[in-house]
Amino acid sequence: MRLLELDGVNFNYGSLEPWIFRDLTLCIESGSCHCISGPTGSGKSTLLRLLSGLQSRPFEGGVYRRRGLLCGLVMQDPQVQLLRQTVGAEVAFALENTAVTRDDMIPRVQKALRRVGLFVALDSPIGNLSLGQKYRLMIAAQLVSEPAVLLLDEPWAQLDNSGVDELLAVIRALRAEGMAVVMSEHNPDAFKGVADHFWQLQSGRLLPGQFDCDHHVMLTDFSPEMPTVFTTDPFEFRYQGSNTLFSSPQPLAVQRRELVTLIGDNGSGKSSLLKAIAGIQSNVYPLPMKVFGQRPKAGVFGQQLGLLMQRPNRQLFEATVEEELSFSLRRFGLPIDMASELLEQLGLAALAQRSPHTLSYGQQHLVALASLACYRPSLLLLDDPLAGLDSAHLDKLWMMINSLRKDGCSVIISCHRSLPLAATQEWQLVKGELLVNNMCRENRRVG
Amino acid sequence: MWAKRRQPLQSKISSVNDASGLWLAASAMLMVTLLSSAAFLAPQSALLYLALTNVLLLVHGLLCRGNIGGILRYIVLQLGFTLLLYVVIHGGQQLHQGAWAVARLLLALLPGWWLTVVIKPQWIGEVLAKIMPVKWAFVVAASINLLPYMTSELRDIYQLQLLRGARIAPRQLLNPLNWYELAYCVIFPLFVQLLKLAQQTATAARSRHFGSHPQPTHWRDPRSHQ
Repeated sequence: MRLLELDGVNFNYGSLEPWIFRDLTLCIESGSCHCISGPTGSGKSTLLRLLSGLQSRPFEGGVYRRRGLLCGLVMQDPQVQLLRQTVGAEVAFALENTAVTRDDMIPRVQKALRRVGLFVALDSPIGNLSLGQKYRLMIAAQLVSEPAVLLLDEPWAQLDNSGVDELLAVIRALRAEGMAVVMSEHNPDAFKGVADHFWQLQSGRLLPGQFDCDHHVMLTDFSPEMPTVFTTDPFEFRYQGSNTLFSSPQPLAVQRRELVTLIGDNGSGKSSLLKAIAGIQSNVYPLPMKVFGQRPKAGVFGQQLGLLMQRPNRQLFEATVEEELSFSLRRFGLPIDMASELLEQLGLAALAQRSPHTLSYGQQHLVALASLACYRPSLLLLDDPLAGLDSAHLDKLWMMINSLRKDGCSVIISCHRSLPLAATQEWQLVKGELLVNNMCRENRRVG
Repeated sequence: MWAKRRQPLQSKISSVNDASGLWLAASAMLMVTLLSSAAFLAPQSALLYLALTNVLLLVHGLLCRGNIGGILRYIVLQLGFTLLLYVVIHGGQQLHQGAWAVARLLLALLPGWWLTVVIKPQWIGEVLAKIMPVKWAFVVAASINLLPYMTSELRDIYQLQLLRGARIAPRQLLNPLNWYELAYCVIFPLFVQLLKLAQQTATAARSRHFGSHPQPTHWRDPRSHQ
């Protein structure tokens, strides 16, 4: 049964802006599952908003909906969609707004939670849920209105492997009930088992198939060198007043030029460990860590250390990209030319005089990283830097890492999954324990 | 017994019927408004009594697992700035006036902190919806709900910029020339994030039919029905 159809849709954000959609056509039938891939900033999220009916800007062309059709949209970050404090209240929000009586709410909320496999008490605080559970909670918050089409915006990047497995099971069940699912995704391969239509959105056109970028920069192999930049004895990572989050039964050491990947599920403690290494993690019991031979403390390492947190566009504040990169150079007394050199090297020179706030997500991501890379830190900590980046932007990320390591920088990258990288060590957070896999043990002295 | 005493007021409200619960939430909001206003309007001689009342709220808030750390850090910072300004402008003689001004600020903030700890934002929204348009009430409730998130954003952005070399370490902020840097590279990006967040929250609410009915109903956690 045909639920929703786009027919020759054209859309842009202003008469002088480039077209986001050109003659876009798409037909959604009940029980179907569509996966849309495309480069960062190609308009995938805008397309989902258009399908959901939440796109307020005018567009040309036809959008045909079945009478009374409801669409449920789950955006990228579940954290920013939470409107209530308890599970039941969050799911019931849509029912409140449609004036469903209190007595009718509870069974409908319970049913929605059951459909996404979330078996928690209705008065459970949302803060206690994992990110994967919060994502399913957001799906339940849409399912409670019984939509016929569910729209998911880049779920893979937000979720760890178990979270993705949970989501796949939910999508299969919803399709079996006749619901149509449309998702935008940088990694369509992860949904091959459930999606039956793959689309690529590029230059405003929606074509069958998966988006694949030609660029493939490889990470260069560098052998670790003395001196050691980071060491720690075995430790237990514990927030004050809480149980142990994870422990490291063995000592850790990172030498010059090393590339370490820190792998773990959502909530396993990756970000906290990186913050602890940078000396900015408060409320934890003292850790036996040494960075450049001293105990980590906020700001003491100056230009020696760089940390890129998740959603790095948060740190952008200057009027132009060039000034954004120059900020740290000025503060650390380094030549300002290093900013333009790096922009040139990354092929971003054309953006130098643009405001960082007007750039696409991927470009902002790269500018934020470049603002750290330009002062050439000796230890760079990257917290989930791959989220939401397409392969063209990933290439530039790898270029920066290669260039930094060539100059002797050590890099620690945290992410949800093992990466096909030239890593020298892999630290895995599994079941509360940090396990070390030395990729080139013969060349390294640990501890 | 201990667990019972640590239950937020919200849980106690849940044990009474909805109308009484709403009255209790409304009374708490009214009391907080009066106490916060009194912090600025009351004569200095009455501040001691006000402080004693605030101590009771503080103890209750802490028993309800509220975290006062953020407010205390802010007050210490504010005290440092204010005293420094008084020294610069008035010399050392009127320092006590600066301390009183900060004390009043603390007394104005504490009742609001207590309210956010013991009353759920949705209850506040429900009470406000009785006296103002539903959409405005939602905005107030959503803003309170977002406070912890924005606090964590503020901390993250501050730390990021500190690591990038910004002159915003506590010791550097003793120099008023560096306050501009704090505003420029911490407060400004925080506002950008706040705007983005407001937009995303609005989309999330609209995608769940917010504003589609003039008189929305209200959810009660199942405990309310027992």
